[in-house]
Amino acid sequence: MVPQAGIDAGIIKDNARKDLLNLLEGVRGKKNLVLEKSLAGPINLFVKFSTLQDYGVDKVFWLENGNVDSSQRNVVFLVRGEKAKHAQAIGEQIKRLQRNAQANHEFSIFWVPRRTLVCDKILEEEGVLGDVSIAEFPLYFVPLEKDLLSLELEDSFTELYLRKDPTTTFLAARALMSLQQRHGLFPRIIGKGDNARRLADLLIRMRSEVTAGVDSSASNSLMLTLTPSPTIENLIIIDRETDFATVLLTQLTYEGLVDEVIGIQNSQAEIDSSIVGAAPPPQQSGSSSKSPVLVQQTQQDRKRKIQLDSSDKLYDQLRDSNFAIVGGLLNKVARRLEADYESRHGSKSVSELREFVSKLPAFQAEQQSLKIHTGIAEEIMKHTRSDLFNRILEVQQNLAAGADPSSQHGTIEELIARDCPLPMVLRLLCLESCISGGLKPKDLDNSKREILHAYGFQHLLTLDALEKLQLLHSRTSANALSIGQGNISGKTNYSQLRKMLRLIVDEVNEQDPDDIAYVYSGYAPLSVRLVQCVLQKQHLISLTRGGGGANAVSNGAQGWRGFDDAVKYVGGKTFDEVQRGEEKAVRARMILNGQNERKTTVVFFLGGITFTEIAALRFIAAKEEGRRQIVICTTSIINGNKMMDAALVDSGCGT
Amino acid sequence: MSNPTADWEKVGDRFYRKIQLYTAVFDQDLELDNYIVAGAPYGGALALHRDEEKLHAYRGTQAAKSSIDIYSYAGKLIRRINWDKGSIKGLGWSEDEKLLVVTEDGTVRCYYDFQGEFTQFSLGHGAEDFGVKACRFWSTGFVALLSNNHLISISRYDEPRPKLLAQPPMETVHSWTLIPPAYTLSRSVEVLLATGQTIHVVDASDSEDRLLQNGPFTHISVSPNGRFVALYTEDKKLWVISSDFQKKLSEYDSRSRSIPKDLRWCGNNSVVLAWEDEIHMVGPNGAASKYFYDSRVHLVADIDGVRLITNDVCEFLQKVPDVTEEIFKLGSTSPASVLLDAVDQLEKKSPKADDNIQLIRPNLIEAVDTCVKAAGHEFSIHWQKQLLKAASFGKSVLDLYNSDDFVEMCETLRVLNAVRFYEIGLPISYDQFNRLTPEKLVQRLVNRHEYLLALRISEYLRLPTDRIYIHWACQKVRVSTDDEETICRLIVQKLTGKRGISFEEIARAAHDEGRGRLATQLLNYEPRAGRQVPLLLSMEEDEIALDRAIESGDTDLVFFVLLQLKKKLPLASFFRVINDRPVAMALVESSAREQDRELLKDLYYQDDRRTDGANVIVGESLRQKDTQSKIDKLKLATKLLQDSKESTLEIKSLEENIKLLRIQEALDKDLNESFTGISVNETIFKLIRLGQWPKAKKVQSDFKVSEKTVWWLRLRALVAKRDWMEIEELSKQKKSPIGWEPFFNEVISAGNTKVASIFIPKCTHLPVADRIEMWVKCGLLVKAGEEAFRARDFNSLEVLKSKATGSAVNEIDKMIAQLRPSR
Repeated sequence: MVPQAGIDAGIIKDNARKDLLNLLEGVRGKKNLVLEKSLAGPINLFVKFSTLQDYGVDKVFWLENGNVDSSQRNVVFLVRGEKAKHAQAIGEQIKRLQRNAQANHEFSIFWVPRRTLVCDKILEEEGVLGDVSIAEFPLYFVPLEKDLLSLELEDSFTELYLRKDPTTTFLAARALMSLQQRHGLFPRIIGKGDNARRLADLLIRMRSEVTAGVDSSASNSLMLTLTPSPTIENLIIIDRETDFATVLLTQLTYEGLVDEVIGIQNSQAEIDSSIVGAAPPPQQSGSSSKSPVLVQQTQQDRKRKIQLDSSDKLYDQLRDSNFAIVGGLLNKVARRLEADYESRHGSKSVSELREFVSKLPAFQAEQQSLKIHTGIAEEIMKHTRSDLFNRILEVQQNLAAGADPSSQHGTIEELIARDCPLPMVLRLLCLESCISGGLKPKDLDNSKREILHAYGFQHLLTLDALEKLQLLHSRTSANALSIGQGNISGKTNYSQLRKMLRLIVDEVNEQDPDDIAYVYSGYAPLSVRLVQCVLQKQHLISLTRGGGGANAVSNGAQGWRGFDDAVKYVGGKTFDEVQRGEEKAVRARMILNGQNERKTTVVFFLGGITFTEIAALRFIAAKEEGRRQIVICTTSIINGNKMMDAALVDSGCGT
Repeated sequence: MSNPTADWEKVGDRFYRKIQLYTAVFDQDLELDNYIVAGAPYGGALALHRDEEKLHAYRGTQAAKSSIDIYSYAGKLIRRINWDKGSIKGLGWSEDEKLLVVTEDGTVRCYYDFQGEFTQFSLGHGAEDFGVKACRFWSTGFVALLSNNHLISISRYDEPRPKLLAQPPMETVHSWTLIPPAYTLSRSVEVLLATGQTIHVVDASDSEDRLLQNGPFTHISVSPNGRFVALYTEDKKLWVISSDFQKKLSEYDSRSRSIPKDLRWCGNNSVVLAWEDEIHMVGPNGAASKYFYDSRVHLVADIDGVRLITNDVCEFLQKVPDVTEEIFKLGSTSPASVLLDAVDQLEKKSPKADDNIQLIRPNLIEAVDTCVKAAGHEFSIHWQKQLLKAASFGKSVLDLYNSDDFVEMCETLRVLNAVRFYEIGLPISYDQFNRLTPEKLVQRLVNRHEYLLALRISEYLRLPTDRIYIHWACQKVRVSTDDEETICRLIVQKLTGKRGISFEEIARAAHDEGRGRLATQLLNYEPRAGRQVPLLLSMEEDEIALDRAIESGDTDLVFFVLLQLKKKLPLASFFRVINDRPVAMALVESSAREQDRELLKDLYYQDDRRTDGANVIVGESLRQKDTQSKIDKLKLATKLLQDSKESTLEIKSLEENIKLLRIQEALDKDLNESFTGISVNETIFKLIRLGQWPKAKKVQSDFKVSEKTVWWLRLRALVAKRDWMEIEELSKQKKSPIGWEPFFNEVISAGNTKVASIFIPKCTHLPVADRIEMWVKCGLLVKAGEEAFRARDFNSLEVLKSKATGSAVNEIDKMIAQLRPSR
């Protein structure tokens, strides 16, 4: 196998689709599909429901509802294999069907992404293992965009940081390993954070295990792929834990705000149709509405699912811009469209007219999309103009800029009294805690009391979870921030880094940004600054030291070189590993491929990435276009609210 | 050397050849007639079992014992498996040379090596009650026919899932066969049952009558590519039809009085009928050729021909490959044939060699290619050499020729000749070898313990050798009589530095053999931590297993070990094991949180993690329905926390929570409204909305809610209630702890400009511009003008004037006029 140049999201998508359809084809005849809820979104990204129907899927059921009926002889379960409770649920449903049904059911289970010993064991204990045929559907990375691969593990944040469950890390390692097997080893693995370190260790371990020969079919080609890749430059792993503060801030790009205000799930947003207009008739579903995987959902006509990805050209333009300029952009597009449309009066000859008509469908699609986004932008505008939003933003910006945190408590208290949504309040408190190394004990107790009074005592559990997450803690508890000294506490020291990496940029040009700080209107996300420490050393130095490149790092410097001091102030372990292959093979590779000038850098965000960070990374990618390509990988897309959801008890049943 | 065409026979317009593979195959005492013979595909082993329905001469007790004997084609006994399990109804092989034995009661044994090791499963679906009548096998599975005509299919042996096929009619089955899943449209196995006059096609979902009228068919067979079916009718006729039953291809009348013993396909274009000692080979269009033998002949079909086995000889009958025919056919003048002749001339040092070459010069490449291919199909080493020589000679004349095929063929032939050697006895043809793949051939050698040959071939063909070493080591562990130290040293010595060696497999073999210490020793050499886990578990090395699982990073493994441990150990020792292993602890915690809260409580109790323990109970209290049980749970949690000093806030909150619940209960009764479950602030809010200000005040003092908060709550509640009177009343107060601006904002967003305007003059700390704005929002432009006038803000007045209508314009004009002189 000749390793491909660069990482191609299209191929990953195609393979996933092929794998799934092959599996479905293996079950003869019509079948009912039982799906784990959290898999519906990711699957919808690469295969449409209508295609599933072509492959014999009759009805779709949620595993969680446990209501699969015996209308079809074949029942197929498509479920993640890492959770014991799913196996339990499957076992119960199979037994229920077997008890009730007249027909003899054929059961198949496709485990995503792999079959596990535990699930086998549970099925065995349930006494159904012998009645099912089991296969694996190795779905790891799901491409959301051509430069964005996600594992789409919704719970990854909770599991990693609240439960300390390393499953996510393991799956991430598997996924990265599959990239390595396709493209060759990452020549260099650079990273920051304890979990990131663990992930790198796992990768190195897996590599040695592969070389030790996991597979007896290990032939020469595999050996060849396990030499350093000629196309990939390095892998940068950023542990979410190193920079919680960025997530807690309100995202200010268009896509970020859509996520904050409306919510984006697997590149889809569910929006009230009063905002974006009713869905076009299903037959000619345009670019905007993919037919949803689930029948149940089509019934909800008040809400409409909008696909938000680069297939929508307008959205592609808007998504990474600061929201401040979105209105202007929309205006411009509207005017252009109108002018184009008016041009039909100018067309005189028949051929001109024909040309115009041929453009019409594209035209209508664009108009449709313009209508949608104007609607969304207006909705967001309503939100951003509100008093609450501005209060919150003000506190955030003050905290980020390093203002005295105690002075913000008045506003926070007011927000609580005004019954501002709890996640927003918690975000502010957590932000303060992260940035200034904890709250003063008295402040903390006060805030806690206010929250318990205002939102209910059940949030005792929420607050406890936040403390476990290290998001909210008191300043005395042994991790006091000793400014000026090194980083002993193992926590990120924002007040040092603010200067060292210039996290606050006062002059931001949102129209034509010159720094990533535009995504938060003045705050440059630390996580992305870290990536810049590796990729854009010159730029960052000129930014932090005011252009005096006296001790500039030489161009060839790699890894963290030149920023070791700054990186020390970021919490968690720092590492920089070089993966070497056998000399001979490496040289053979060089000769085979020649010197590839433009290499790929893989940036992996363990524990989730926000849309603003994606925008910032894309901004870097655009600047670096001549030299390298950046592929962003993550365990899931996250935002501050999702982060809070990890801790929030839902008052129905507790955590 | 005999002419290669000597054993050719013309049938119709095609040539067929019968190649003698081995002679003196079986002992003359072995009455083949009394045996069932099953041959593995691609020239694999033969399994013989005495046909129980036949009488046989008594030869003493030894011989009377039932057994399954595995032979090579050369007649070498590889293994005798003693059989005491009851009557065998199915004997067959899978593609990877697993021997399948199906007994009458539906038990299936799968012998996966030649050592008598087997896995066993049972067919179910009523097989025990009705009994298995017969079985038909394909490369990866088989179908069993029960005496009640039910059909059960097995499509894989690693995880067998017996599946009942559709129900065919209850008629006598004259004969039956199957089409392997790879060749059917439905991609699942199809069974052809000859019943009555016709044939039924049965698959997983339905059974279909093909409506034939020429039955009953006593024999039925499907061609290797699944496209044709051969049928033998009761009136001695052989029919060949397409497998979709649409076309009849040929018919042949055997004119034999007795029913043939067997009917098999020879490749895809001819059919072989076997009687006791007579063979008819029927080619296309009903042309036939007959062969006669001295004793009983068994047929073993393969993809490209059929093997004929008698006591004396083993032969391979196949259609002569096209390339071979092109070269050797009498009077052939094809370029390849001329090239072959040229080599002959060259050996005789005759100048005609060059003449020949010149003659075929334009077609030389094609001639060389043909010679190379023909060499592959040749079983005689002499002719292989001759053909390769010809190719080589032709090649040398050519300026440019890609020799890859030539080199590869030379390599392949060396391998083929090595395994065809009678001591190995794998008479595999070139086509079969390509189908089987070299890796699987090596596997077959390994199974026969031909390690050296396997290694040589692997190295020669650049294949991985790890499996060979592992197999050797496992065998060593099983049978060696040396002491454990020596074995371990020997194995490690031989295997270190080799890639891909799984010491885990060897250790497992040692463990299964009861050599525990050896297993432990060997396991230490396994580089992959994860692989060691299952074996360590079965060796009862639980803690090491847990450590290794954690090391591997695979949470599934960790979980698996934990499950085992939890079942095995008393709870206290289980907790002790996980206590100093954070990953294990985290996994237990997170799974218990979802499934087993009692375990979680025990865990926290043992670990003295009071806060966590209390939180679990608080969580439980949330799920209680009635207030009293909620309170009970909360009290329990409070008690748990009591002793610790750090959780004062928690204790206080819990106590407050209880207090709140009590108050709410009382309020529920008092006011006939539902308060239970809402927060303190919400309670106050609701009380104000209900006009219960004193009660709200009471709640405030009970919970020490700050004055600011209560003002906010009051404002919001009153606005929500649209109680403007009350709000106006409030405006009469001198001071508000939250300022007056919120009042303006809340009221105006509720749409009441009149009441909102009351608050504007009270917002004294705000800049003038803001107040002007506020007035404008209330629609009171004149008031705004006055504000501006007082501040002597000329510009604002201008702006206001432009907005104003009616009399307001005049008023503002007046003010502007008043301001002007002063400038």
